[in-house]
Amino acid sequence: MNFAMALDYQNCINCKACEVACKQENGVQLGADKQRIWVGQNEDFIFGKPSVNYYPSQCNHCVDAPCVSVCPTHASYFTPEGLVLTDKDKCILCKGCMEACPYDARFVDDKFVAVDKCTFCFDTQISQGETTTACQATCPTKVRLFGDLDDKEGELVQLLQSRKFFVLKESEGTIPKLFYIFPEDDTFALSSIGKDTTIHTWDTFKPLIDAAMQKRNA
Amino acid sequence: MKTIQFLGVDINKVSILELFFNKTMLFAYIFLAFGFFGIYEVINERYFLLTANSLDAGLHPGSAEVANAFKEAIFGTGGEVKRESPWTLYISNYIYMIYTGSGIIFLVTLAELFNVSLIQKTAAGFLTLGLCMVFGGLFTIIFDLNVLHMHWMFLTPNMSAGMWLMLPLYIVYISFVLFEIYLLISKNKEWIKKIAFIILLLGISIDIAEYYIQAKLFNMNTARHLWTTYPALPLYFIISSFLAAVGVMISYSYIMLKESFKEHFTQLLLLLKKTTLIAIIALGAYEATAFLFIDKKWANVILFSGFHYEFYIYAILAITVPFGLLIYRFFQNKINNTLMIISSILIIIGTFIGRFIFVYGGNAYPMSDRFGKGFERYSEYDTVKEFIFFFPHISEICIVLGSVGVVIAAFKFIDTLLNVSKVSEH
Repeated sequence: MNFAMALDYQNCINCKACEVACKQENGVQLGADKQRIWVGQNEDFIFGKPSVNYYPSQCNHCVDAPCVSVCPTHASYFTPEGLVLTDKDKCILCKGCMEACPYDARFVDDKFVAVDKCTFCFDTQISQGETTTACQATCPTKVRLFGDLDDKEGELVQLLQSRKFFVLKESEGTIPKLFYIFPEDDTFALSSIGKDTTIHTWDTFKPLIDAAMQKRNA
Repeated sequence: MKTIQFLGVDINKVSILELFFNKTMLFAYIFLAFGFFGIYEVINERYFLLTANSLDAGLHPGSAEVANAFKEAIFGTGGEVKRESPWTLYISNYIYMIYTGSGIIFLVTLAELFNVSLIQKTAAGFLTLGLCMVFGGLFTIIFDLNVLHMHWMFLTPNMSAGMWLMLPLYIVYISFVLFEIYLLISKNKEWIKKIAFIILLLGISIDIAEYYIQAKLFNMNTARHLWTTYPALPLYFIISSFLAAVGVMISYSYIMLKESFKEHFTQLLLLLKKTTLIAIIALGAYEATAFLFIDKKWANVILFSGFHYEFYIYAILAITVPFGLLIYRFFQNKINNTLMIISSILIIIGTFIGRFIFVYGGNAYPMSDRFGKGFERYSEYDTVKEFIFFFPHISEICIVLGSVGVVIAAFKFIDTLLNVSKVSEH
């Protein structure tokens, strides 16, 4: 298994239901700075007209996760399901993983005095046999789709095979597993994606995942 | 003074009063008082901060504690660690103390290897000072970490992580330096002579390994391009720590050796002056070329926006002014005490600012430009952050002051017992 998530971010209406559902489901510490998932906002002008982009985001559960490499106590670790999790009991609060993460996806949970991050609801949902995350379940516009990259017949792989997508900060070499679906509306795509972003198909990205998995297992 | 001999070392027989209640110790206690206040603050903030999650209100209906935790979540500062800037003044001071201490140890070991007699005679004191600075650094970092979970460093070690490598490094390093000091003050001169060369070579190897591991600690954070694009980071740490080290060594010499090393004091200062100038030239040349290689986003933040005042203050205090003061009448082989002391103080302050910029600068460029369309904000009420800086927490500032107290107290304690600052005939 290799769990991942696709985000059709064009559909995001910034209702923040995902943020609330995540906090409720996982008992995340309250506070504006304490988010496992969030909706980033960016304001711009396109030909003189103001525009706002909404960027839902969370931990990318990278295949080559730098947060795991830097952790001195294996508090950050890969699960056999391809997730990056943190063991709060082992965290010595060196904050190296927070420095190593290119996505600002980690924060300190003051309740446990340890670093916290998105788990794809592994403890509360996935390990109990459920097939979806709280953020996906609650989203009114179906932005998120959680699934298994090893399941070729699964909905996630089918979506990635049928649509172009991109990942965040690909140049960092982390092989992230949040796949942002390339918008159908070209104008929206132009206003919301940087010019240096590589647009992938499943055929171009799958080998990158396989290579990173091989490197990890070596 | 009466002494007891233990393993070939003379230990002074002093009373508790002499050991802990002398002028230097009282001075150290002022700094340590700040340190203890900082420790209290950090423990209070870290372990007793009122926190709540969404389940608490349901589990404890009507609880005043939960209500206060909700209030803290909305109006509070959000804990001591900021999400965008995890490494702060603790790390700045840690690397300043550790690297400067290691710089002193490295320089003294090199001098020993090349038979520089002026340093050989004063080596025990310098090495002890270096070691005490390492203690000061460790004092700082221990309160940055969650000490309650430190046993996992032994139980589930990740041996390839720079952060973990620090553990065996300092166990070996501190033991080794203690052994070097022991050799210097021991009366067993015969067998010491036999192993001295090997010990010095080992010392140099450990010093180099230390700088390599310290660079790895930063270099592994691939997202922070300031740290990954600094060319030859271990070399930068060596050069900059040499400068900070000689700055501290000059001040130490004026305080501890002016009277006891009278006949050679000017020669010692001339030697330190030359070393300082070499280190200044090396660091100046390095900084001038490094920014050609450093990621332009971070270089821009440091040179032209967020940290530009700090950077130029660093360049002026650590490099430009001391160079001007020390090069003045350089070829006359004379020492102007005022200029030397001013240079030393400026270098100590300047290099600290350099470390501050290095650590804070690594986080200065926000990670929030995820889609390549500019920096994001996280809510309607948030502002777009184009530069990340949070003023250090009061507990951090106090613990940093406390670390100075640790250095002074540890040195005085060892010196009172072992006379390490005494000039030896080596």
